[in-house]
This record gives sequence, structure tokens and C-alpha cells, in this order.
Amino acid sequence: MLNLINSDKRWVRWATFAAGLLLGLVIWEIVGWSFNPAFMAPFIGGDGHPGAGTRLVAFFGDEEFIDSFASSARLFATGFAIAVVTAIPFGILLARLTWLRISLESYILVLYVTPMVALIPFILSIMGFGFWPKVLVVVLFAFFPILYNTLEGARSVKPELLEVARSFRTSELAIWRDVLIPYTLPFALTGVRQALGRALVGMIAAEFFLSTSGLGEELMVASRNFNMASVLATIILVTVIGVILMRLAQSLEQRFAAWRGIEQ
Amino acid sequence: MSQAASNLVHTVSGTGTSADDPSSAPTRIAISGAGKKYGELQVFKDINLTFGNGEIVTVVGPSGCGKTTLLRCIDGLIPLSEGEVKIEGSPINGPREGVAMVFQHFGLFPWKTVYQNVAYGLKLARHPAAEIKEKVPYFINLVGLSGFETAFPYQLSGGMQQRCGLARALAMEPHVLLMDEPFAAVDAQTREILQFELLKIWELRPLTMVFVTHSIEEAVLMGHRVVVLKGRPSGVHEVIDVDLPAPRDRGTLGHPRFTEVREHVWSTLMDEVRAAEFEV
Repeated sequence: MLNLINSDKRWVRWATFAAGLLLGLVIWEIVGWSFNPAFMAPFIGGDGHPGAGTRLVAFFGDEEFIDSFASSARLFATGFAIAVVTAIPFGILLARLTWLRISLESYILVLYVTPMVALIPFILSIMGFGFWPKVLVVVLFAFFPILYNTLEGARSVKPELLEVARSFRTSELAIWRDVLIPYTLPFALTGVRQALGRALVGMIAAEFFLSTSGLGEELMVASRNFNMASVLATIILVTVIGVILMRLAQSLEQRFAAWRGIEQ
Repeated sequence: MSQAASNLVHTVSGTGTSADDPSSAPTRIAISGAGKKYGELQVFKDINLTFGNGEIVTVVGPSGCGKTTLLRCIDGLIPLSEGEVKIEGSPINGPREGVAMVFQHFGLFPWKTVYQNVAYGLKLARHPAAEIKEKVPYFINLVGLSGFETAFPYQLSGGMQQRCGLARALAMEPHVLLMDEPFAAVDAQTREILQFELLKIWELRPLTMVFVTHSIEEAVLMGHRVVVLKGRPSGVHEVIDVDLPAPRDRGTLGHPRFTEVREHVWSTLMDEVRAAEFEV
């Protein structure tokens, strides 16, 4: 019996995984039913106890909710894309220009550890309401993990490879294209993966504290109305999307790190 | 047959010389008064050497004598502190066309396949795609890597990686090939195989080769002349003509003259090697 549980056969692993998930849902269901629906909602639910999972399914037919979702997705995608396309080149540039790195290093470290939520009132007072201040919040949340990882990666480029490139009379542009970017990409993608979770937090925070909109607004309204099923349904949605995006980034990371010969 | 292919066969056969081929010049590389300092440390000084066309010159010396540094200066990767290097008459102030280097650390791009690594220099120099398609497989075949075109460096043994490094350099069809202890990082048996294969390739395409090594045996086997670097700062202690019959092959190793030269170089360097070993 113990051998079977510890076996690394595929179906055993899947069955264990499914059993863990199922057990969690059962506990959730029991807890959900034993509280007042204003404080806790079960997963499936029923009479007097609306379920979060059931509500989530219903959301897909709710036009207003779909609009909110689209609005959040637009905010997230814009902010995240800006963070990726600025942080990666900037990270490589910092590794390439020692004086720039040394002069900015302390600021980068400070901003990397700064709780970005604390900057939101500041952004509000400077930029006011609207779409772009919210984008800035998402960018700030996502930018630094990507920058930090890219910089560390680009700094570890083997000097031998740069020497080879020089010996073949490679231009600076081609050194970026042929050496720095391919070498740094797996490191940068580690940063991208870390940044995904942070950017989702940034998205919700921006929607809470700046002009309320999107899933943040849905969450806010639902919790004011003690509608726990909707609150939890929205949280599940954001979480599931986060997990999917992270898995995607992880497989990209593995794809671009294949040349390192790990796990082949 | 395409233009590129006919050019290729032309160069490979090594018979004709085209008008702009500088191989008619007697001296390919001239080093005069060369010195290199790192801060206060003078690595070598006052080195004067010339390398002829299609000549293999090996450079030996104890560790830390600056033989690899000298090679990097010839390639233009690092500047000399004193003196100058001229290749085909023009002074070197950076890596130039017609000179290719093979590195001790192979220096293959790990994210590129064998094919892509060999094509690297040609692509950079913007050779036409048709020409690249002709040349890359030719040089992969020349170094014996056919069938491994799509392999990545981490999937290859050290010897195979250096074959790839050699093909990458040869594909540029250089007049000058700089070899920086190319076989130091491969195992002893592979090293012997590669030495003889390199000699065979040189028979096919005789180019000027500066070959840095710490193996006295390798220096005498490969070199038409052996340059012995010695001293602190080091300088040219001796240049030995190795008048061994061509082509050189395994038989060369049993030749009395081979043993003679090897012993001569060994006794020249022994004192200094001892001193270097016990230096803290």
C-alpha cells in the first residue's frame, strides 16, 4: 500500500493530486455550510448558502461581470507588457554599463523592496484618476523582479563568450542579439514568473484604491454587500488565472533554458 | 554549380591564387618590440618575431609566461603596451578579417547547434545564404562532425566541441589561424587524434598558424618552428627550426630528430618550470 502511494507512476501522481484537491473542496464545503453566509460561502452551496464555485460558473453568463473582467485584463496586459519590454533591455544595459549600474544599484534595491502599495496614494495625488495611473501601479509591481533577475543574469554572461564574439568582430548590436539576449532570457523569464503574481496584486490594488473598476470593483461591491460567494468566486478566478500564467511562464523558461542541458 | 561552391572548391584545393589573395607576401605576421604590462607587472617585453605564409609556429613556455596574452594581442583582442603587430603589412588595433582564433575553452554558444555555431562568423560577416549553405556542411564534414549538425554543445564531448570550434574558425577561410592551447581541455587520447587531424587539415589548406601550447611534445610535433618563451618578464629565448619530414604523422613521433628537439626544449625550460612550480 505504502509502495503504491510513494510510486512515481503517472496515474498514481494524478490520483494523489486529485484526491488532495477533492479533500480541500470537501473541507471548504463543510466549513461553508457551518457559517453564516455573510461571513463564509461554501464551494458548491445550495439553499440559503450560495456557493462560490456555482457563482463563478454563473459569472460567465453575466455581461456586466465579463465587462469588468475585460477591463481588468486590459489593465493587467498593458502594465505587464510595459514592464517586460522596459525591464529586460534596461537590465541588460545595466549589466553592460558598469558606471550606470553602480550609480543606480542602490535605488533599484530600495525600489525592489519597497511595498508598492504604499506608493498608491502618492500616485493618486500626482496623476489622479484614469486608466494610466492604474497601469503605472501594475508596472511598478512587475518591473523590479524582472529587472533584478535580468541584471543578475546578464552580469553572469561568460566573459569567454564575449571574447569569442569580439574575435569574430561582432558589433555591439549583434552582441546583444547573439550573446546577451539568448544568455539572459532564461534568467529574465524567472523574473517574469515572479512578476506575474505581483502584477495581479498590483492590478487589484490599483482597482481598489484608484478609480474603482474591473475585478477590484466587483470584489469591493460584493464584500460591502456581504456577498461572500461573489467575493470568493472572484478570488478563485484571479488565482486560477495567476496559476495558469505562471505555468505558461515556467514552460517558456524551460524552453529557453534548454541549451543549459538541465532536465533533458 | 553556384559561384560560392566553385570558389569553395578552388580554395579547398589550395592550388591557384587569385589576384587579391595576399598569400604571395612572404611575411604574414610581423611582431616588433612587443611588450605587455598589466599595471606594474611586465608580462613579456621586446618580442620580435615574423611568421611566414603557410607556416606553423608553435609557442611554448612555462605557465604565466604570457604566451596566451601574446596570442590575444596578435588577434587584437587586447592592446600591446609597447611595440606593434602587423598582419599583411597593416598594424593591428582590433580583431580583423582573415584572422580566426580557436580557444582553449572552445567558446561555443551553448544555445546554438553545431550548424549554427559553425555558421556564426559567416552570418556575422553577411555572407550570402547560398554560400553559407555550401560552406557550413563542408567544414563540419572536414572536422569529422557530420551527423551532429543539430546537436547542442552540452550534448558533445570535449573533443567534439573543439572540432566544432575549429570548424567555426576554418569556415571564415582565414589566412591566419590562432590556436590558444586548443587541445589542453580534452583527454590525452582525443588530443592525439585531434593533433593529427589538424595536421591533415593543414595539408589540405595550408594557412599560417600560431599555435600556443604548454605541451613541449605538441609544440615540436606541430611546429615548423618552435618559439620558446622564457624569463621574467618573458622574452623569446630561442626559435628552433624543426626540420622534420612532411607530412607529419604518427611516424614523426618516432623520428630521432623529434626526440632530439623535444629533449632540447625540455632542458631549456626545465629550470624555469621547476622554479614556477615552487613559487607561491
